Formats: sequence, structure tokens, C-alpha cells
Amino acid sequence: MSIASFQDFARRFAESRSAVISLTVSLVFVFCAIFAPLLAPTDPYDLTHLQLSDALKPTGSKRMLPGEEVRVNIRVNNGAITVLPASPTKTRLSLAASSCGPNCLTVSVEPTAARLGSLQVRNLPNGATIEGAKKHPIQPWWTIDNPESSEVRITSATSLPASFTLLAIAKSLDQETDFVFRLGTDNFGRDMLSAILYGIRISVVVGLVAAGAAMVLGTALGLFAAWQRGVTDAIIMRAVDFMLGLPALLIGLAILAILGNGVSKVVLAIVIVQWSYYARTARSFAMSELGKEYVEAARCLRLSPVRIMLRHVLPNCMPQIIVLFTLNIAAAISMESSLSFLGVGLPLTRPSLGMLIASGYEFIFSQKYWISIYPGVVLLVMIVAMNLLGDRLRDLNNPRLDR
Amino acid sequence: MNEMIFEAKDLSRSFAVGSSPLQDFTDHFLRNRQPAVLRAVDNVSMTLNEGETLGVVGESGCGKSTLARMIAGILPASSGERRFRGEDYDSFLRRKRDALKVQMVFQDPMSSLNPRLRVGEIVGEAAVLHGLVPRSRVKDYVVDILARVGLPADSVGRYPHQFSGGQRQRVGIARALAVKPDMLICDEAVAALDVSVQAQIINLLLDIRRDSGLAMIFISHDLGVIRHLCDRVAVMYLGRVVELAKTSELFASPTHPYTRMLLDGMPKISAQRRRFMPIQGEIPSPLNPPSGCHFHPRCPMVTDHCHRVRPELREIEPGHVHACLNVEPHSKRL
Amino acid sequence: MSDTFFFKVDGLNTWFFTRKGTIKSVRDISFEVARGEVLGIVGESGSGKSVTGMSIMGQIDEPGRIVSGSISLDGQELTGLDFEEMRHYRGNRIAMVFQNPLMTLNPLMRVRDQMYEAISAHESVPRKEMYDRCIEALRSVGIPSPEERLNAYPHEMSGGMRQRVVIAIALLLGPDLIIADEPTTALDVTIQAQIIYQIRRQIDERGLGMIWITHDLSTLSELADRIMVMYAGAMMEIGTTEEIIGAARHPYTRKLLESVPSRNAPGEKLKQIPGNMPSLLTLGEGCPFANRCERMTDICRQPVQARQLSETHRIWCYHPFED
Repeated sequence: MSIASFQDFARRFAESRSAVISLTVSLVFVFCAIFAPLLAPTDPYDLTHLQLSDALKPTGSKRMLPGEEVRVNIRVNNGAITVLPASPTKTRLSLAASSCGPNCLTVSVEPTAARLGSLQVRNLPNGATIEGAKKHPIQPWWTIDNPESSEVRITSATSLPASFTLLAIAKSLDQETDFVFRLGTDNFGRDMLSAILYGIRISVVVGLVAAGAAMVLGTALGLFAAWQRGVTDAIIMRAVDFMLGLPALLIGLAILAILGNGVSKVVLAIVIVQWSYYARTARSFAMSELGKEYVEAARCLRLSPVRIMLRHVLPNCMPQIIVLFTLNIAAAISMESSLSFLGVGLPLTRPSLGMLIASGYEFIFSQKYWISIYPGVVLLVMIVAMNLLGDRLRDLNNPRLDR
Repeated sequence: MNEMIFEAKDLSRSFAVGSSPLQDFTDHFLRNRQPAVLRAVDNVSMTLNEGETLGVVGESGCGKSTLARMIAGILPASSGERRFRGEDYDSFLRRKRDALKVQMVFQDPMSSLNPRLRVGEIVGEAAVLHGLVPRSRVKDYVVDILARVGLPADSVGRYPHQFSGGQRQRVGIARALAVKPDMLICDEAVAALDVSVQAQIINLLLDIRRDSGLAMIFISHDLGVIRHLCDRVAVMYLGRVVELAKTSELFASPTHPYTRMLLDGMPKISAQRRRFMPIQGEIPSPLNPPSGCHFHPRCPMVTDHCHRVRPELREIEPGHVHACLNVEPHSKRL
Repeated sequence: MSDTFFFKVDGLNTWFFTRKGTIKSVRDISFEVARGEVLGIVGESGSGKSVTGMSIMGQIDEPGRIVSGSISLDGQELTGLDFEEMRHYRGNRIAMVFQNPLMTLNPLMRVRDQMYEAISAHESVPRKEMYDRCIEALRSVGIPSPEERLNAYPHEMSGGMRQRVVIAIALLLGPDLIIADEPTTALDVTIQAQIIYQIRRQIDERGLGMIWITHDLSTLSELADRIMVMYAGAMMEIGTTEEIIGAARHPYTRKLLESVPSRNAPGEKLKQIPGNMPSLLTLGEGCPFANRCERMTDICRQPVQARQLSETHRIWCYHPFED
């Protein structure tokens, strides 16, 4: 296509405002798909960062840091204080102890900003008390619930023994962070915004790859049928009729039931469903092109059939095939989503939009609408945009609508 | 000069109408019916000498375009023989580079050029692929050819839709000339053009014939164009040749009733308005042609004989043959 | 003769306003048609001959428009009429026949129903009378056994037969004027001759006016009473058939006639017109043929006025041939 005719094409395309909008929307989705890792605030595939405490949070809530517990043994030996972690878990909290005069010991929690749920000191020596703490009715455990400050003071009226060991246990409350779940979380505590962005990525990739592979396969078969005519044509076209006669989703379900799930298998299922559209379109347009005189001229110039089909006939069928391709991307995306929704598509760990809709489906009646609705809206917008784009391309291709 | 370049002997071509393998199957087994067969070309024999132009004239459905495609080797014959310089056509066509010696110019200036290719590629493609010209020199080669058909050098980079009908037809002629043919088949090559453009293209063909001594088969429904361009003329009716003679002789003294009717119907430019004789009868469907002589339902001199017997081509004068049962040799006037 | 002119076109301009610019397809066309007369409009593609016909029928669609000029039938102005008013004239008073009969015929309807529909769209007539009129119309264009043809579908007929049916439909309502746009171009010579014969007879018998638009001068020379030559949207020459065919004065008409093969010696090079028709987008003020004309001088760049050569013969040229 020359530059001038492309400009003309672009100008005619731009005459429809909905087409321009849908092109823009489609490009935004492609952009999202390409740059999802940069755009997404979290990586939804990283399972280690998921925490159930974040599950099913509504839109706009903040991520919570879960409460932690730290235990240390505090050994006092002739005035020397050593702090030994009793449990090896890594926490943000730590405990320290220091002397605060004769018969006085301070146990403090670091960082001081941490809000504590409780601070407990066990095995106090006889006679020692903790201000404001409650003693366990039986055990020598002293507990302060919701302490105001981050340190406690152990004092004793009598002198403390020369050496003794305390066990200090600090429990922090759940803590709000600055991270906001802009679109809420799903039932695994995944950030929906990130999941949707990655879901777009999967949907767009599956749509493009599947529709593209179907286009190549179907077009090749269609051209072959058109060139061979006769029995080959009849066989291929009956296969097409057969494929078109069965519901697409049913075929997809059957294929995935046999092969199991996974991205490549979903792509394969879509290709098997969609090649027939391309074959039929390519065949019918190739037939009409083959009847034109320039093909006869090419045969008269003794060009090989492959060259005639690929160099002369195919480029003249391409506009129609590209229209079909655009429409079929949308169909492929919706089919992938449908299959995932039905639970046979992609694995749970790599959620596509359909999978997200499915995972929110069970919560939708408990007013946790965001898990299904947001991916649903995104899917809807994406498919509508693709379809409008395809429709516009088809209109531009139709000489009867052109003036 | 009188070497024969092409010969067709009893050439026939039939088409099964509207059939598909499935339909053939059901027709054969379920409906017990033979598929309809269209005999587009029916036992046509003709010869073409080196440097000669043979005209084929006839109305729509007479099979002249099918004949053109069989001669060009892009349509196989159902039966009969084709020879190029004495060699059997099938083995000739198998040698791709030699087969380029027969080329064709088409009717429709719109559809005869691939709209997605630039003129440079349309004209140069085959010459490069068949090794007539190295790829590095193809541009100059194409420019030369385009100059021969009267197109500017900058046409090379343009697309067919950027040309007028006459210019497109020139591109079509250039495409055929680019592979150095010895024989050119023009299928209604000027029919779709305006009068003034038609004259330009006819002159171009005359120039090319004079310069390169091409043998030509010129197929047309336009008797005026045929008379102007051709050395000999074959008149076809419903798939058969009914008369074949030197152009001057055919136009001066046509012998077959159909040829006469055709010449009478030919509009002539004259300031004196001529009152038409009403000529009765439709062209019968080629699917179901009349028995015997195909022309008998419209023929003014029909006899019982004509309904039953298929007339063979008979020589009525040297070089003048016709297929009529009633007009005897040497009694050309009725 | 001039008082018998019932149809007049005066100063017609039909332009198309496209993205690339204004295409002045028809510029200042004036002619008239008398009863019982065939006016031939001849021109090459792009000459504006078809647009002239469409303008008369009120069938110019966006982005085209009749910019100025008047079209009148028996003194009634047609250019300002709206669709409903024009419908009364279409078919009833003015009928049109196109090159492709399938443009007019509905492939899903029998010929009879299409003809009945044409009648009942304009008048209410009992079925028996409609039947008789249809038979009569079909017979008048030379269709054998019209009773059978009435029941046929368009695809069951040959191209020539279909075109006859279209002409019969055009004749049905007894119009005053028939506009035929290349009606026989797609037909074979023998069939064309038959149809022209039948049409000429109908014109003479019924006293119709006819405008026959074609690119084929030879057909016109056998059918038309007067011929108008158009080139690139403008009139070049108008006159009786004898004046145009026998004694053309305009260089373009002369060249056109000379380039016809049958007017040249066989095998000789034809006298051709060099060059191509100019683009209608970039026309100047002057004679559109000037660039291809061997008699061109500077004055040809000025707007050309009509020159009356005889009562019937008008010409738009600064340097006509003298006879």
C-alpha cells in the first residue's frame, strides 16, 4: 500500500468516532499487556507475598501487616544482662533489656512505634512485680494488654537474686501500611489491579497468538482448497462445515478435557475452533480473485502455483482476512475467558480475566462485587473495542459503503 | 513467412455446469441424471502462420474466449490437438521458459492487472523469474518495454489504479511483451475502451506487429476492429467455426448465412440513416444448442436437412471454408 | 420545428463536491427534445453524458448536486421538485433505461408482477386491463409469445430479452420522454440491431421523445435524429445526424469519427487523438479539448461561446472546420 493510499485509508477510518475510540482503547490494552510488570503495583504470581489477612478487602483498603510475636530469654547474671532470642523467627520486632537501678530492670520493645497487643514477662523472681500488669492466676506470668508504652519496668521490693532468667513475649497488633488496594483484593489477598493488568496480558497474548495461528493455518488451507478445487476442496470445506456446525465452546471444552489446562493448550483449542472461519473466508475470496484476469495473466506468464497464490491472490484477500482477524481476536479472548471461567482454561496461579471473574463469582452474593465486576468490565470494554474496530475495518473494505 | 506457428485440430472444451463432487455424486446415484455439460468449444480447427493475424469473431457465448484460453495454454482442452511449431502442446507447456512464447492480452483493464503490485513488478516479474533478465537490470528493462508501449518511465513505481483505462491496457500489453513472445492472443483487448483510446491501442498493436513480426490471434465481437487488424477471420457461432476466410474476402463476399447476418447487423457510420431489417431470433443457450446446424432456427435458408446433419467445414475457394449445407461452392450468391 | 420542443434543458450544471475538490461533471449543457425524435448524446467515459441523464431523472446523490440550470417538461420546471413530486414524473412522464437490465429488474419477482407494480404505482387499473397493457407493451418491443414471458423470472431470459422487458416497462405508462443510458452496449450486434429497430418504430408510432446516451457513434448514426457531442462535461457540437456524421465542424467530432476503424483503410494506422481526457478537477476556463487539439491557439484558453452554424447546428469552438 502506498503512502498516499494509506493516508486516504486513515482519513476514512477516522470518519467514524467510535472507530477511533475503539482503536485507542485497543492500543491502551495492548500497552497494558506489554508493560503489565511495570504498571502493576504487585506481582500477582508471587505467591509468597500473599497473605490471607488481605483477602476479600474492598476497594481502597490498605494492606495490613499481620501481628507478630517475639520471644526472648533475658538472663541476668551478677548484673550482666544478656538477651537470647527464644524463637529463631525473623520479625521486625525485637526486645531489649537494661538495668534501671538497683532491683530494677527495663524490658523494651523495638521499634518503639510498633503498636503492641500484649507484652508478657514470665518467670519473674519472687517478689518482683510489674507495674500495671496482671498476674496469671497460677503461673508466674505477668501480662500487660494493649500497653501504652513500649517498655515495662520490673521492680522488686527485695533484692533480686544474683542470677535469673526471664522469658519476655511481645505481641504486636496488625498494622496498616501505605499500600492501597485500589480495586480491592480477591479471596487469596491478591491485589485486583495487578491481577487485572496481568490478566489483560494473558488475554491479549492468548487472543493474538491463537487468532494469529488460526489465521495462518486457516488461510493456508483456504487457499489450498481454492487452488486445488475438486475433491480436496470438498474435503476441506466439509471439515469447515463440521467445525462451524458444532458450538465453539463445546469443542474447546472437549479439547481441554482431553489435553488438560495450560496457556498453550488453550491456544491450541482456540486455533482448532477458529481456523475454519479463515479457511472459508480465504477460500471464497481466493475463488473470486482466481476468476480475475490478472490470475490468468500470471498463469500465462507460467508462474508457479505457489507464487500465484502467495504473491498475487493472497495480498488481494488480506483486507478481508485482517478484518476477520480483528473480530476473531475478540472472539478468542472471550473464548479463553469462558474456558477459564468454566475452570478448564488456565491454571489458578496465573489468573486470566475469565479466571478472576470465576473466582469472584462465589462471593458476588455476599456483596464482594469487586472481584468479578472489575475484570468483567475490563473484558467487556476490550471485546467491544475489538469488535467495533473490526466492524469499521469491514465497512472500509466494503466498496458498496464507500463513496 | 508461411511457416505455421500454431495449429489446432478438432479442439473441444466442455464444462460441467454448476457441479461439485458432492453434486456429481448425488446426481449420479440418487437422481440418476447426467450433469449438464456446456460445450463451449466444439471441434474447432484452425492454423496460424508466423507473423499473421487471425481474427476470431462471434457473439457472446460463442466460445471465443474459451478458445483463446486454450490456445494460450491456461485452460486444458477436453479433446483435440494443439501444436506449437509442430510440437505437441503439452510437452511444450511443460518447458516453462519456452511456453512464454505464447502470451495473452486481456479484456478488462481493471481486473487484468493485480491491484496490489506496482507496474514495475507486474511487467518485470516473469522476466526475472524465468531468467530472461537479471534482477539487477530489471528496472531498465521494464522502462524500455514501457517506452515501447508509450508509457513514461516513472510508471514503474505506480499502481494500476493510478492509470486510465487505456494506460492500463498498455501495461497489460507491456506485461506480455516483457517475456518476448512470438505469438500474442488478444481477447477483446479493445472492447472496454473509449473510441479515441481504442484507436490508440489498435495503433500500438499495429506498431508492435510491424516491429516484431508477432503472430496474433485477435478475438473480438467488433467486426470493424477485426476488419482493420486481421489477415484472416474465423467466424464462430455456439462453439463452432462457421466460416473462415481472408479478411477482404469475408467482408466482400460472405457465404455463410450467419456471417451475412452479422455483417448486416454491424452498425455503420453514415449520415444517411439506414432502416433496419428486423432480424428475428435469439441466440440459443449454449447449454442446449439446436440440433444439426446450430444456426438453423435463425437461418433464412433452412431446410429439413439442417435439423439433422451437422455441417462440416468445406472449402469453397482456396483458403475460404465454411460450414453450411446449402450454400454450394462457386454459388456464393443466393 | 422549435415549437414542438416539449423538453428543454437550459444551462445545466451538475457538480460533485468531493474531498479532492469540485468535479464539474456537467457544465452549461443546453438542449431540447421534440416529440417523435431521438436525441443522441455521445461522449467517452467521463464526458458527463450519464450525469446529464441522471440529473434529468433527479437521481444525483451526495456529494453531487445540480448547481444551476433548468430542466423543463412541457413548461413544468423539474429541478426544484422534491422526491414525492419527482416520483410523479419518474416513470409516468419520464422513464429511464440503463445499460444493465438487472439494475432495474428485481431478480426475485416475475416479470408480470414487476410490470403490474410499475402501473399500480402511478394509477389504479383493473387487473384485466393491466394484463392487456403488459402484453401490448411486451409485443411492441418484439418479444415473442409475451403471455409466457410474463410469468418468467429475469434470470430465465437472455440479456437481450431482459433489456426488452426493461424497455417495455419504460413504455408501460406511456411516458413522454425515455432516457436510455447505453441500453444496447452490453448486447450482441444482431440483438442490438433488433432492439434499435423496435425502439425506432415505437418512437415513430407513439411520438415519444428519446434521449439515447452512448459512446458508440455508429449506433447513433443509425438511430438518432440529432446528435449532441460531449467532452469532459461540456458540449462540443450539436446538430442533426447528417450534420454531425456527414459534416462535423468541431475538431473533436472530426477526430472521433476518423478514429473509428471502419473509416480507415484496413491495416493502416488509425487516425488517433493524442493524449488523454483532462482531469475534471483541474479544468481551466477554456475549451477542455484544447490540449489535444491540433488547431489550438491562445484564444482557446478563453471561455467558448456557442456558434450557430445553421438552424439546428451549434458548435463550441474558436477554430471550426470550414465546409
